[in-house]
Amino acid sequence: MELLIALAIGAMFGIGIFQLLRRNVIRSAIGLIIISNAINLFLLSAGAYEGVAVAYLDAVGQRSDALPQVLVLTAIVISMGGFATVLAMLYVISARYKTSDLDDVKRLRH
Amino acid sequence: MNDTVLLLPLLFTILGAVLAALFSSSTLQKKVSMPVQGWLVGLTPLAAFVYLFWQLERINAGEILQLSIPWIAELGISFALYLDGLSILFGLIISGIGVLVIVYAGYYFTGDSSAWRFLAYMMLFMTSMLGTVMAGDVILMFVFWEGTSITSYLLIGYKYKDEAARRGAFKALFITAGGGIPLLAGLIIVSSIAGGTDLATILSSGDLLRSSPLYLVMLALVAFGAFTKSAQTPAHIWLPDAMTAPTPASAYLHSATMVKAGIYLMARLNPALGNTEAWFWLLSLFGLATMVTGAYLGLKQNDLKALLAYSTISQLGALMMLIGQDTAEAFKALIIGILAHALYKSALFLTAGIVDHETGTRDLRRLGNLYRIMPFTFGVGLLASLSMAGLPPLFGFLAKETLLVTVVHESAPQITRLLFTGAALFTGALLLAQSLMLLFDTFLGQRKDASLHPHEAPIGMWLAPAIPAVLSLAVGVLPEPVWLATLLARAAGAAYGSAVSVSLALWHGINIPLILSLIAITVGLIIFYHRFTVRGWQAAIDRGFTYNAWYQGALNLVDSGAFRVTRTQNGYLRQYLVVMLLGMAILIGLFRALPAVSLAAVTWPDEFLSMATLIFTFRISLLSIAVIAAFLSITMERDLPAVLALGASGLAVALVILVEPAPDVALVQIVVDVLSVVILILTLTRLPRPQRERAFDLNVSRVAFPKWDLLVALGSFAVVSLVTFVALTSRPRESLITPLYEANALLLGTKDIVGAILVDFRALDTLIEVAVFSMAGIGAYTLIQYASRTAGDKVESPAVDHKVKVPLRIVVGIKGIGGQDTSSLLHGLAYVSLPLAVVLAAVHIMFGHDQPGDGFTAGVLISLAVGFWYVVFGYNSTKEQLGHWLKPTILVGAGLMLIVVSGVSAFFLDGNFLGHVDYGKLIGIDDWLPGAFHLSTALLFELAIALAVLGGATAVIDALGRPQENTPDLLVHLENLTILASRGEISIPEQEQWESEDSDWTASGDR
Repeated sequence: MELLIALAIGAMFGIGIFQLLRRNVIRSAIGLIIISNAINLFLLSAGAYEGVAVAYLDAVGQRSDALPQVLVLTAIVISMGGFATVLAMLYVISARYKTSDLDDVKRLRH
Repeated sequence: MNDTVLLLPLLFTILGAVLAALFSSSTLQKKVSMPVQGWLVGLTPLAAFVYLFWQLERINAGEILQLSIPWIAELGISFALYLDGLSILFGLIISGIGVLVIVYAGYYFTGDSSAWRFLAYMMLFMTSMLGTVMAGDVILMFVFWEGTSITSYLLIGYKYKDEAARRGAFKALFITAGGGIPLLAGLIIVSSIAGGTDLATILSSGDLLRSSPLYLVMLALVAFGAFTKSAQTPAHIWLPDAMTAPTPASAYLHSATMVKAGIYLMARLNPALGNTEAWFWLLSLFGLATMVTGAYLGLKQNDLKALLAYSTISQLGALMMLIGQDTAEAFKALIIGILAHALYKSALFLTAGIVDHETGTRDLRRLGNLYRIMPFTFGVGLLASLSMAGLPPLFGFLAKETLLVTVVHESAPQITRLLFTGAALFTGALLLAQSLMLLFDTFLGQRKDASLHPHEAPIGMWLAPAIPAVLSLAVGVLPEPVWLATLLARAAGAAYGSAVSVSLALWHGINIPLILSLIAITVGLIIFYHRFTVRGWQAAIDRGFTYNAWYQGALNLVDSGAFRVTRTQNGYLRQYLVVMLLGMAILIGLFRALPAVSLAAVTWPDEFLSMATLIFTFRISLLSIAVIAAFLSITMERDLPAVLALGASGLAVALVILVEPAPDVALVQIVVDVLSVVILILTLTRLPRPQRERAFDLNVSRVAFPKWDLLVALGSFAVVSLVTFVALTSRPRESLITPLYEANALLLGTKDIVGAILVDFRALDTLIEVAVFSMAGIGAYTLIQYASRTAGDKVESPAVDHKVKVPLRIVVGIKGIGGQDTSSLLHGLAYVSLPLAVVLAAVHIMFGHDQPGDGFTAGVLISLAVGFWYVVFGYNSTKEQLGHWLKPTILVGAGLMLIVVSGVSAFFLDGNFLGHVDYGKLIGIDDWLPGAFHLSTALLFELAIALAVLGGATAVIDALGRPQENTPDLLVHLENLTILASRGEISIPEQEQWESEDSDWTASGDR
């Protein structure tokens, strides 16, 4: 199971990187979300217990690990906030340079 | 053991800095003239001086005062102070001369109302300098040490409009702070070998340090720091350039205090690092070279301050050389030299400042014959320069005598005696010639420039240098003050490591040093008499050679190197990203953090057709969907399907999480995914489609297929898969903290462990998380508004009169987002969805503690419904109907406020900020409430999260939902106009012309 999860996470990460490297700002933003999904999945999979039941006190059987769930929950919310800011910045750049092509945005160089 | 009152001197000087800063107020400046400011601020170093003087009795009795306050306990670093003979001597010099210089500066800057800045910098410097010499922990000492470098930079560059001042300041900072870094490294090595950063430990582990294999390394590092600070050749070049500082600063920093910091450090560490061959050669040779270089170059100078600077360098070299000697005699000479030099050199600098101030020049070729007009200043200058010349009966004579005693003393190593004696004689003669030159060309002889109109300085100004000058005489002629001799002996003893006896008697009978002294005086007089001839020779000898050429060359090398490196940056941000990823991959490879991967660790479900197999299959399918959907987002040629593919991938991830099983996380993942997609689509509507299509670069048929990107992506895939696999197979299978949380959740009566951790156990994290989310929302809102404004959109909210009640009805003729018609069915759905979302949210908030769901989900749910309204009804109509309660910033503020209020109430009721309190149980109504519903802090918390999240999310939706009035058509129009105008086909009035991108950017920012 770990192998498959690792391959899936790696694949998502690679796809995310590929998208992030696109010239189109929207694709970069998409890449960012895919990468954060991959990372969140990784964090969640790192829980100590192989749970078959939810992390509720009245659940029967081996409960899943609550701690990584809390951390991932926080991570999802924070990455959403970060995403909103990055997207807004990309939008500002687009409006400023009147382009959606990041390769046209080279003012940082000088 | 802990003398907390040791903090007092530092507190006094900080108070002085604060006091000086108070005079930045223009009302105070009008009431308090600059000299009065000087006197007032000067009281604080006076207090420090008096305090230190008062401690003298204990120090002279052999006590060492110490104070230690834990600072960075994990590293064993403490805020420790250490006051022994050596520190108190420096402390007295620093605070004593500090008083004089501050008072003097008040007069120096008379009429300059911005000079409070100077006083404040001076007091900050004084604090750093006192801290350096009083620190009882080498790391603390380093912090203060760097403080002196920085404040010195500010003081040298005080006249920042003058380019020479800026250059001098930079040079001083570059060299002294450049030496600071090796010093820190050296101190860290020293303390790690000695086993502690506190001075007492280091001083007592000399044998350990000297026998360490790293001895030479740490010695070199520490000496590098001390040499750059104390202007030892060839790092001395910063000191003459630092003379661009206002004279009070030069008098203080560059003669009496800061440049002595390196001397202090080496003397301080002598018991720990000294008394070895390496120490001797390193310090003696550098000191010797510096002493001779400074004396030689000093004779060439025409500027009063430059002359003083070079003689200071020479003196610093002599002191460094003495530390290298490592004999009791040498340390006696060192301490006497430090005090004598501090007294006469500060007096001379201040005198030079007076001359400059009252005549307008410091050029020896223009001055002369000032003694008639400035008798008091002349008197001060006479005493001080005779002391510098080393003539009896002044203190300087004693300093020179003890120096000569040291170099000819039998305890001095045989090999060096001749060389050192020769150098000392040479230096003595040159310094004598210089001090006479200074005295004669300034005050005596004929005035060279008749256009000068000098006058005597006010008493406050010449009194300041008069005190150290008279002290120079008093030490020489008055009967030996026992306390001073004892203090000097204590100081020398502390530096030497065992007792040293000091006598201040000038006359020791006719002996070799006296004869040498006479020779030096004679040679000096001859040089003085023929000074113009000698200076002519000098000019001929070192024509074209300066140390500064080397310095400049080194700087240019750095500049050109930096230029070459930045040329490799091509401006394509995406390629920077590739470089970063490669770097990460290489780092992972380098550290070999990955244990060997063995497929044996792979676990497969053993029972087929069982529950586990079912979940397994389910999971695999979901993971595949997530990956395939993500992949589709690449291949979709249009952006909207790509965004939808992303949404599908995110939902698949949510389902994987659900199977984990982690329903709370899955729920949040779902709403976040939907919200992201909504925001992305709203952004799409604002970016013109042709513009986006131009940027689509993935086309297999095109030649420009991004092969390299593919390679990077594949590489990331491989590395991340590997790292993940290793991490997952080697993770611990038993959690330490989860059982603890579970037990505590049981105590609270909460079923949802995740929820309990979020709002009860790790509530502060959640508070910060929510704050970040809502701030990000408001930040995005601001950015988007800004961008719209740049594009020329109207951003003010439509004026809505909320007093006019808009009845709930299906409005005919309302346009949706983008001006498209929307059907009545959609209107109806929107009207239903918002209340439904509110009810759902309420359920989430109320029962989140026992069921999946929480305040975050609740907030996002309502936001999504609101977003739906924007799409269906358009911006203005939505604002009209919801605007009276939907105010993002107020919602965020209310949410965060509510968390704090609930946290504080828990603090009073439970004793813990953000702790858990069940209000329902507290007032006894819990039994009347539905079973799973508790009126507790958790409920308040969830409600607050919902409010803040609603505010943050709707802020983004609001900003993106605004109608675009001017973009993109007007922009295109304006651009066309510009093009036409540039071709000369039409003419546009100047003020209406479409400005270039840059001016447009800044102009709109100011609007």
